[in-house]
Amino acid sequence: MMRALTILTVIAALACALSLAVGSVTIPPGDLWQVVLGQGDTLDRTLLIDLRLPRTLSAFAAGGLLAIAGALMQVLLRNPLADPYVLGLSGGAATGALLAMLAGAGMVLVSGAAFAGALFATLLVFGLAHGTGSWTPSRLLLTGVVTAAGWGAAITLMLAITPAHQLPGMLYWLMGDVSYARLPWPSIVVLMLAVIALLPLARSLNVLARGPLQAAALGVSVRPLEWSIYLLASLLTATAVTSVGSIGFVGLIVPHMLRLVLGNDQRVILPASALAGGTLLVLADTLARTVIAPEQLPVGVITALLGVPTFLYLLHRSR
Amino acid sequence: MTILSARELIIDIPGRSNGAKLNLDLAPGQIWGVLGPNGAGKTTLLHTLAGLKAPRCGEVWLDDVELAAIPRREMARKLGLVFQDRQDSFPATVLETALIGRHPWLSVWQSEQAEDIHRAEAALGALDLRELGERLLNTLSGGERQRVAIATLMTQDPAVWLLDEPTNHLDLHHQVQVMRLLSACAHREKGIFMCLHDLNLAARWCSHVLLLYPDGQACWGPTESMLVRDALEGLYDQKLIELNKDDIRLFAPAND
Amino acid sequence: MIVIRVFVLFLMLSSHVVADVCATDDNGVELCLPGPAQRIVTLSPGATELAFAAGAGEQVIAVVDYSDYPPEAEMLPNVGSHTRIDLEALVALKPDLVVTWVSGNPVEQVTMLNQLGMATFAIEPRTFEGVSSVLERLASLAGTESEGYAEAARFRQGIAALAKQYRGREPVRVFYQVWDQPLMTINDEHLIGKVISLCGGQNIFGEMARLVPRIGPEDVLAGDPEAILSGGTDEDGNSYTSLERWREFGAMAAVAADNLFIIPASPISRPTPRLLDGARTVCEKLDMARARL
Repeated sequence: MMRALTILTVIAALACALSLAVGSVTIPPGDLWQVVLGQGDTLDRTLLIDLRLPRTLSAFAAGGLLAIAGALMQVLLRNPLADPYVLGLSGGAATGALLAMLAGAGMVLVSGAAFAGALFATLLVFGLAHGTGSWTPSRLLLTGVVTAAGWGAAITLMLAITPAHQLPGMLYWLMGDVSYARLPWPSIVVLMLAVIALLPLARSLNVLARGPLQAAALGVSVRPLEWSIYLLASLLTATAVTSVGSIGFVGLIVPHMLRLVLGNDQRVILPASALAGGTLLVLADTLARTVIAPEQLPVGVITALLGVPTFLYLLHRSR
Repeated sequence: MTILSARELIIDIPGRSNGAKLNLDLAPGQIWGVLGPNGAGKTTLLHTLAGLKAPRCGEVWLDDVELAAIPRREMARKLGLVFQDRQDSFPATVLETALIGRHPWLSVWQSEQAEDIHRAEAALGALDLRELGERLLNTLSGGERQRVAIATLMTQDPAVWLLDEPTNHLDLHHQVQVMRLLSACAHREKGIFMCLHDLNLAARWCSHVLLLYPDGQACWGPTESMLVRDALEGLYDQKLIELNKDDIRLFAPAND
Repeated sequence: MIVIRVFVLFLMLSSHVVADVCATDDNGVELCLPGPAQRIVTLSPGATELAFAAGAGEQVIAVVDYSDYPPEAEMLPNVGSHTRIDLEALVALKPDLVVTWVSGNPVEQVTMLNQLGMATFAIEPRTFEGVSSVLERLASLAGTESEGYAEAARFRQGIAALAKQYRGREPVRVFYQVWDQPLMTINDEHLIGKVISLCGGQNIFGEMARLVPRIGPEDVLAGDPEAILSGGTDEDGNSYTSLERWREFGAMAAVAADNLFIIPASPISRPTPRLLDGARTVCEKLDMARARL
């Protein structure tokens, strides 16, 4: 268990180093090293410390947040297909944020509105999919996909009535984009707090993964646990969405791949998701900003290209 | 001495009249079998006794404390349950599954120690599953999974064992093995309470029997006094023949 | 006023003295440079055109996608698209002036440029005078006042001449089609709307609230335009839009009089001195339309 996390930490560090080392401007390795040593010329320092570092950190934090949110939703719904983007949480968060922006709210209110939107979106999916029966995969997915489409329409509507000068700043809610990322620190702090808060809950989550009745019979207070997980997943999604827009499928791919290798012990999967999710998004963003430089791709395109086949494969196998 | 008791208990089955109030006392060393046709409320009764479902009226007491007043984790140390259905949405190995039985015994920051693993392995051994420890649950047969569930309860090691049709899916050999195991547990002062479909297993292994009728009526008592052909024919609405051989009583459907 | 003061101040000082050059951008922010900008990056096709027109073409070192006018601009290095700027490439060019687009560039990226200490100057002309004013202000920042002010004056006089020429002409009801699918037009606040008014046209969607409203074909029929215009040919004269769909509505005045005109796109749609050419074309077409009615 510790070995897996150590390996993932090393890979994450390498990915971040790569993301710092490459860009549309080539900096020779020697000069990179000078900057690391606190020297080097001003331009190299600006490129590395002011441009690449915040972007790398934003991507890492957002990836980690989304992967953990995905892993939590999957345990909560006992369905490996759950993902904040597929289930419309990201859409709800983006809708909330856009509404607040349209109303002229400041950054804090926008984040709060994104959280409320994510929360409401989850409630909607839970409520509708649950109905009177249980969360069957098809029912859940249908509900999620339909509400996600609804959020998409709401966002399009808001973009259609937005004054033109606000448009460019808003479009990225549709397709996540790290190039607009704001300060990375709030996301990183939330990510670290989430991992710390989840570790003591992780064993209970293992039991919850066996079903709510089995969990209750083994001494888990199911309702409070489910609510905390639900709130936490919404908070994580909202934090990620306010920082980088709605990026899809990280929450789906990462926990799935990790489970294939590491099993389904949440004490390993949750911290591993933080590391691997961060790594994935850092790599995807490095690709997005270098592959056809100087043209910049939205990173959501890359994750969707990876995520859609994974999703279809999972769906195919679940039959 | 009683460890689990139902007092004036009426289980809550929507649309059914109240029927008989249950006053049951489960003592260590006893094995109770609940018999009744499909839909009589056997599973609901088990869930009510485990505190997973609220009764319509009456109370359940565990170790002289009312069930509703006991924190979940403490309850799980004293009372465990084998369900009829299980959800296996995620891949998990047999050993991991047995180990979750230790959950109520470990504090939030603790992880499973060598002793916990030893207990889980012993339980798997007792159910012929030791070699399957690293196998994934979804590669097992129905009977093997049933035994894993029982091994999990054994790892949990509560004083009260509630089991919902524990012999489901099991071949004859393993049916007998499980009943022997439960009987041995009863000897170690556990109280066993299970739903059964097989009259002959009940006749042979249970010390007490509760007959549960679809209309909510019920009667209970020591096995010899309850397993009477007339009563059972009424319970199942099925003519029966009764055989006695080598001190073993057997019931079988009669030719009409 | 500030611009003129700056200019006067500048003239009073000898050109040998290193002095601050200052101008206020279209966000109302004043920018002062220690001397005329030598390394300019423009972050919209319109800004590129304006910088060249202001006489600062020599100093422009990089542009964004679709900066196709003047042709020299196409040879310059590229720093991404106006919606997603390659900040690294931009920073590495060490520009001393970045001309941004108020509503076209992402606020986050422009903020980032400011935080990095870049001199940014946001422009977005929304009036004829705005075009002249931007030319003058860019010329001030680039130290190319003689060319820039002359171009600004030429544009001002050209527009004034058109206004004089077409004042009092018979009004023509005009529908300007920005885009076919979805169907989009402009209101009177838009520069194209102002051009239509200038030429004696009457924009049937002039009163709409949004600058670029999305409308339905029924609205167009109800407005019964006498002329339909669309900016839809590229620099080489190839047409990429069509007004043929309107021909099936023979009862519409514009169709009955065959007043469907496709005009060169970028002169009419970019807020640059070429707008004068665009305006002349629109005025000519509307005059033709008047004659056919």
